[in-house]
Amino acid sequence: MLTAPWLTGLVRRRPGRLLATALGIALAVGLLGSIGMFLSSSKAVMTKRAAATVVVPWQIEVQPGADAASVLTRARSFRGIEHPLTVEFGHTGGFTLHQGDSTQTTGAGVVLSLPETYADVFPDAVRTLAGSSSGVLLAQQTAANLQATVGDTITFTRLGLPDARIKVGGIVDLLAADSLFQKIGAPAAAQPVAPPDNVAMLPPALWHQLFDPLRQMRPDLVTTQIHAGFRQRLPADPSPAYSMVESEGRNLELVLAGDGLLGNNLGAELGKARSDALYAQILFLFLGVPGAVLSGLLTAAIAASGAGRRRRDQALLRARGATVRQLVGLGVGEAVLVAAIGSAIGLGCAAMIGARSFASATYGAAASTALVWATGSVFAGLVIAVASIAWPAWRDATSITVANARRVVGRVQDPRWMRWGVDVILLAASVVVFWSTSRNGYKLVLAVEGVSSISVNYWAFLGPALAWLGGGMFIWRTADVALRYGHRPLARLLRPFVGGLAGTVSASMSRQRRLLARSLTLVALTAVFAGSTATFNSTYRVQAEVDAVLSNGAMVTVVESPGKEVDAARGKDFAAVPGVRSVTSVQHRYAYVGSDLQDMYGVDPTTIVRATKLRNTYFRGGTADQLMAKLARQPNAALLSLETVKDFQLTPGDTINLRLQDGKTKAYRPVPFVYVGVAIEFPTAPSDSFIIANASYIGQQTGSSTVGTFLIDTATDDSTAVARRIAKLVGTSGIVNDVASDRRKIGSSLTSVELGGLTKVELGFAIVLAAAASGLVLWLGLTERRRTFAVAAALGAKPSQIAGFIWSEAVFVTVGGLVSGGVAGWGLTHMIVKVLKGVFDPPPSALAVPYGYLASVAAIIVGAVVIATAAITAVTRQPTIDMLRDV
Amino acid sequence: MIPVVETIDLRRTYGTGQGLVSALRSATSELFAGEQVALMGPSGSGKSTLLHLLAGIDHPTSGTIRWPLFEINGATPTLRPGPVGIVFQYPSLLPPLTVVENVALPLLLASRAETESMMLAHKALAVLDMESLANKLPEELSGGQAQRVAIARVLATGSKLILADEPTGQLDRTTATQVIDVLLAAATVSGATLLISTHDEAVARRCAIRWTMAEGVLDAPSIKTSTAAMSSSC
Repeated sequence: MLTAPWLTGLVRRRPGRLLATALGIALAVGLLGSIGMFLSSSKAVMTKRAAATVVVPWQIEVQPGADAASVLTRARSFRGIEHPLTVEFGHTGGFTLHQGDSTQTTGAGVVLSLPETYADVFPDAVRTLAGSSSGVLLAQQTAANLQATVGDTITFTRLGLPDARIKVGGIVDLLAADSLFQKIGAPAAAQPVAPPDNVAMLPPALWHQLFDPLRQMRPDLVTTQIHAGFRQRLPADPSPAYSMVESEGRNLELVLAGDGLLGNNLGAELGKARSDALYAQILFLFLGVPGAVLSGLLTAAIAASGAGRRRRDQALLRARGATVRQLVGLGVGEAVLVAAIGSAIGLGCAAMIGARSFASATYGAAASTALVWATGSVFAGLVIAVASIAWPAWRDATSITVANARRVVGRVQDPRWMRWGVDVILLAASVVVFWSTSRNGYKLVLAVEGVSSISVNYWAFLGPALAWLGGGMFIWRTADVALRYGHRPLARLLRPFVGGLAGTVSASMSRQRRLLARSLTLVALTAVFAGSTATFNSTYRVQAEVDAVLSNGAMVTVVESPGKEVDAARGKDFAAVPGVRSVTSVQHRYAYVGSDLQDMYGVDPTTIVRATKLRNTYFRGGTADQLMAKLARQPNAALLSLETVKDFQLTPGDTINLRLQDGKTKAYRPVPFVYVGVAIEFPTAPSDSFIIANASYIGQQTGSSTVGTFLIDTATDDSTAVARRIAKLVGTSGIVNDVASDRRKIGSSLTSVELGGLTKVELGFAIVLAAAASGLVLWLGLTERRRTFAVAAALGAKPSQIAGFIWSEAVFVTVGGLVSGGVAGWGLTHMIVKVLKGVFDPPPSALAVPYGYLASVAAIIVGAVVIATAAITAVTRQPTIDMLRDV
Repeated sequence: MIPVVETIDLRRTYGTGQGLVSALRSATSELFAGEQVALMGPSGSGKSTLLHLLAGIDHPTSGTIRWPLFEINGATPTLRPGPVGIVFQYPSLLPPLTVVENVALPLLLASRAETESMMLAHKALAVLDMESLANKLPEELSGGQAQRVAIARVLATGSKLILADEPTGQLDRTTATQVIDVLLAAATVSGATLLISTHDEAVARRCAIRWTMAEGVLDAPSIKTSTAAMSSSC
């Protein structure tokens, strides 16, 4: 048995090389393992967050004619349901409050019957703003409309019955009004635009006393729902969790046999989360796999740097009668040993990083999931080890003669891929694929109409993958060509540093171009990986902030209650609050564009740019500053949606008549505007069509300057603290939101997924990869050539002359690698960001380049090369006889 | 007559304490210009150590070594590259350099102009009838060819003391004979002193002077004997 003594010999004689090769495997195993566990953990977090955002998981609407008690009984005995509670809905024509001589009346509204335990079972449904949390409760907006406070007695109408009188016990905020008042069973497009403005909540006994008579007369004005929790434990991944909840829901509907219709709020949220989970998976593929492939290449390069020695060993064994089978067996044995050491180091490091950065060795993933990822990563490590060690051993054993095996430099043909131009073909294919994916708007997650499952469009990955591969190969070719044909210019460049040896050094480099081109490519690919990953992550972070600010409107927003007359001067009060940098007011109106009713925002173009972040990507036809300046110059200017511009065939400068509601008569009347540009996104605006115009012009034309929202920029990052101070000022007359809370709220959105952890892991690995790909590979390559340096020293070369050879190669590899990697990284990052456009909402106007990190990666590469080169140079400074004896 | 190199009770030990190895116990000798000497002795007898000391690659633990012929105002100049040339037993050509570049390397290391170095390298190859190999890489040469190129490298440098450390140790008989022919020719052409270490009797028979080493002790003929044999060749 040859393998055991051979491996023992390797461990004893070449522990450094063995460990270096294992390091490559460790990087791949560690990176895949940690990113995989992070991904699983993220998905689990997405599921948890999605479930946590659902206030009432299931709403079952009792169908007309069905027995509500029977529905409740069946729901209670259904396995997936917990704490089912009956909630009744009664419709009223309006609420009225008489106070002295004044009478306030609202429009139509809803009176709910909420069981006493409702707040305990669904604690996030109702938030008490003033007074008691039980008894008769009035929604905040209704209280504002009526100018009612706790203790006031209000009346509400009941069709065909006398008005009912109730005494307000508390004022509350309905936190999940949208889902509470949803039209159950209706598609998204048929859902109400907004929940009812006027809502009161009564204890069941009182409600039944007031509405049971109405149910007798007009059953259509009264509905019953069963609100329930979901009992079963959800799978960690949003996709199976969604499938489970959906199928349970369908099962329940079968049990109810048409007596109840299910509003599956939990399923809907998980549905959103599962597409986010797929995006997370895409990020894993885009950001993690290149790192693992690079680790594989690094392992191959490390193994290849000792290939000469291995071939000589093999030649010796063959000369002594070893069979091909035995030689391959040795290679496989070495691969398994290296894979085992590398896997142990990689998984150990991954667990340590997890424990330090995520307070969990499994990154928060379940033990079984972590085990799956660990096993998969170890398998990947084994594949890399076999490909880097065993396969070359087999190739050498079967296709190289003993004499050829002793060759070091080789005057051999170019590799096939270079002769066939595979790099150019791959780059061209990448451009074609990129162009074709751009035609479908870079859609990565595909949801086919009518099909419940969603899938990843892996075709879109091909563009960047081909560019990465082709780019790497092209860098290799460029370095090879530069060394082959450019050794004379290279000699001229080297002459100031190595003097008369310039021609010899240059010739030596030219003959070793395969080795140097490979090392340079490895450095370049590492730079590309570090650069593209860091830039993507940085851009992602910036966009996440932009997204949060865009959906919230500004760092802090104050949304005034509808119907409340507040003018822009109110902003001065907010501006005086400590921590506020600037304030602007935004009018929210509705305007008819033809027959379409669209949201219209009246802004002050001079102050809005200070109070919120307007990105150039929000607009077409000019930058944010240019279009705001146009609005400021031209009072009747308006920014319209792209859809409106297309529908009405508008060109800038065209006049368009919009119909706006008059402040006094409430009638819609035409107001002329001039189209000056397109607005795609705008703070607080919906994602569909809307209009931006001057607030002063709208106020003048409609006779009303009522403000809907105040956008507030803060002087500190602690927007929550500023929001809290402003909330005290606002009281119950409006709602204060801050960007930090908003970020937490949009839990299922991918941009709210904490990429910080992934970034830490990846950037950490990128740094180790950079150091290994540059310093370690160079050091091992140079170590293999110690004999050459010893001979040169014996011939009389001074240490400085040997250093000239070493440093010339090191500088070529480092500078060439960093420059070509920088260029390729820049291009690839643009491509990745474009392909991952779906991840970004809104898309970034420019890449956020983390110059500090990139500079540190470059510094680490340079530092590793300097250390490796200096270490080898130091070896050449020892007495010549020692060097000769060592080799 | 001034010797090219002289040693007096030269000793070389490696390591300390229990691990102390005496590679060379005593070597007193003189080599004069034009002498061609075979240094005989079994493996491990200290031949390579003596050659390394004579080449200035290694330093003695005790004793004296001088290169009187090369001294300028009593000081020894740089021995390599220059007056001393070495031919190793193992392959000693730099793999990424062609034959002619390898031959020119010591000259370039000695700061000679590139053009001049290349010219001298070609000339040395021509003298040894190896011009056809000029653009080949070391890995394209046979073992014998590689050793002949190493000899050309010494010849191009114009070394006055050629030290060959078992130059035929890894070669077959025919090739070894050719290599020794070239080595002797090179020494004769350049008028250099030649010391060949070998344990091959056939090689030793080619030299008129024979030194022997056993267990680190050199038995070199007296100066008078050497002088008498000065004109003789291997």
